[in-house]
Amino acid sequence: MKSIQIFEPAMCCPTGICGPGIDPELIRITGAVHNLRKKGIAISRFNLTGHPGAFAKNQVVQNLIKSDGMEVLPVTLVDGTVVKKGHYPSNQELAEWTHISEDEIGKKQHFQIKLNVVNK
Amino acid sequence: MSHLFHPQTMGLTPFLFFTGKGGVGKTSAASATAVALADEGKKVLLISTDPASNLQDVFATSLTMVSKAIEEVPGLYVSNLDPEEAAARYREKVIGPYRSQLPEAAVKQMEEQLSGSCTVEIAAFDAFSSMLTDPRIVHGFDHIIFDTAPTGHTLRLLQLPTAWSGFLKDNTHGASCLGPLAGLSDKKGQYRETVQALADPKKTMLMLVTRPEVSANKEAARASAELKKIGIANQYLLINGRIGQSGTENDPLAHAFIKREHQALASLPENLKEIPTFDISLAPFNVTGVANLRKLFFGSQPIQDHAAVSENGETHSRYPDLEVLVNDLVTRGQRVIFTMGKGGVGKTTVARKIAAALAKRGNRVLLTTTDPAGHFDPMDPQGGRLTVSRIDPKKEVRDYRETVLNQAKEHLDEEGLAYLMEDLRSPCTEEIAVFRAFANVVEKAENEIVVIDTAPSGHTLLLLDATESYHRELAHSAGEVPVSVQRLLPKLRDPATTAVIIVTLAETTPVYESERLAKDLKRAGITPTWWVINQSLVAAATADDVLKTRARAETPWIRRVTEDSEHHLVIIPWMDKGLTVKSS
Repeated sequence: MKSIQIFEPAMCCPTGICGPGIDPELIRITGAVHNLRKKGIAISRFNLTGHPGAFAKNQVVQNLIKSDGMEVLPVTLVDGTVVKKGHYPSNQELAEWTHISEDEIGKKQHFQIKLNVVNK
Repeated sequence: MSHLFHPQTMGLTPFLFFTGKGGVGKTSAASATAVALADEGKKVLLISTDPASNLQDVFATSLTMVSKAIEEVPGLYVSNLDPEEAAARYREKVIGPYRSQLPEAAVKQMEEQLSGSCTVEIAAFDAFSSMLTDPRIVHGFDHIIFDTAPTGHTLRLLQLPTAWSGFLKDNTHGASCLGPLAGLSDKKGQYRETVQALADPKKTMLMLVTRPEVSANKEAARASAELKKIGIANQYLLINGRIGQSGTENDPLAHAFIKREHQALASLPENLKEIPTFDISLAPFNVTGVANLRKLFFGSQPIQDHAAVSENGETHSRYPDLEVLVNDLVTRGQRVIFTMGKGGVGKTTVARKIAAALAKRGNRVLLTTTDPAGHFDPMDPQGGRLTVSRIDPKKEVRDYRETVLNQAKEHLDEEGLAYLMEDLRSPCTEEIAVFRAFANVVEKAENEIVVIDTAPSGHTLLLLDATESYHRELAHSAGEVPVSVQRLLPKLRDPATTAVIIVTLAETTPVYESERLAKDLKRAGITPTWWVINQSLVAAATADDVLKTRARAETPWIRRVTEDSEHHLVIIPWMDKGLTVKSS
């Protein structure tokens, strides 16, 4: 199975809410990653502050930062190959790589109310 | 009914904490207590966790984290636990291993993320908690005395462990937004132990230090309530700097001091009245050196140092007053004016004075205050030229959270929203929310000069900057970063538009604190335009001996701020509400 890695700039938190504005992209990607993980997809996010080790271990990402600067982040790798730079992958791209439908990726699950109905 | 504070006869617990807002005399009280106990034959460790600590001045010796024996006081050991140093060490622990492995740009970005006040506080707490739970330290001393940082700081510091225990336990996401805390999550047990020790009345006494001033008492009352809420109920109130009846008759300044003292004591908040209370007399000397520390807990004494008193020929006329500052603002045409400083130095009062003076000169002025006490006395609207608005940080955070959650609802399911809620609990949220609020105020003001009694920290500005340029580079729509914030950021750095005024007092702690503020702003490319020394005794004439000596003690601090400010300093004489002390 394909493994997806997203390398992100240093942020205080994955949803980026500590910035001056709310970035819907960050919230979308947080939701998408969340849904993909639920489907058993190996997808990880590495934020520079929280996971410097992942950056240090990855020569491809390091080289990109050296040549293109920090603006190259976020960088997405599929099985170790760079597939996207400077932006987060769209739900459509994620769907292509994982064969999970865009609907499933962008889906917002509704709260399930469990009723204790006694089955006769 | 209260008594003079007498540590020897109080049956003090092994751990003693002194808390109170900056400048009330925590360090003096803690140091004098430590000396008194050591003189009784006890083995005492005194630790300062205040980033603006002046323990080194008090004991006239250089100090580090490693405790040092004080020669003149057998049994007394002192250590200085600078949280900024601790933060730097923590930062190095996180970043160090990657310094050679990651590109420089990446390392720089990490460093800024870990330079915020959250990191400093966490590092301080970490260092302080390891002292409290280290059996070698705990069993090696009869008393461990903490001269803690100012109240707001202390509260967060002490509240952290309970907040964390809950947070770490409830956090089901693994990769969480502990942000700068992430590196410390393995210390849960140590923090739990710290909280237990703090809440145990056999182990810990909390000394709430205050001065006979309404605002200091309010702060103490708030600290008392908050600490009680997290289980630290074994509290004592120390009223430092009581002038009592010793003031010189017919001296207007001494009279004002006595009057203020009466008012403050008469309006003591209810929850403080239940706490055992002790007095410390206004010291007619600078509380430095062991000899003076030994004198602190005795009543006011006649001054022996007559030479020093007569030397107090310092004339106030040498220092420019607030008018000079206001004239300069008008000449330069600055439209956004921030007054900043730590709690209790009177930045709201100074902001009010500046706003009123600008309005009096015919300008349209909008005064915005974040004063959490919310006791904003009505001001003369000066024919409609002066308007006042208020930013309530708590409400701003609430609104900000709501906005974020509303925007996120479309994308996230229940679990995702819960995750976002955790992110929103991060301590940076308040600073960001308040910054957005005053960016709005500045944006809306068209023809008005805006005076704001708070300013963003350099760290926030740098983070905002980084985020903003990041957004720009990604060619994102302007919708995400509010237009008001986008426009304010460059304005803040432009001295033609913006004046940043640092308010301080001519005393140890406030001066150290404001120097730290200035340093932090400098990182973000902002140089304070003016410094204001508020409530100066030097600038107010007095015939009272005790007050004269106090006034004389201001001189070195005024000199220091004169240098810090490169002579952009004005001084406001000490006065009481409604009782102006003439400075002639």
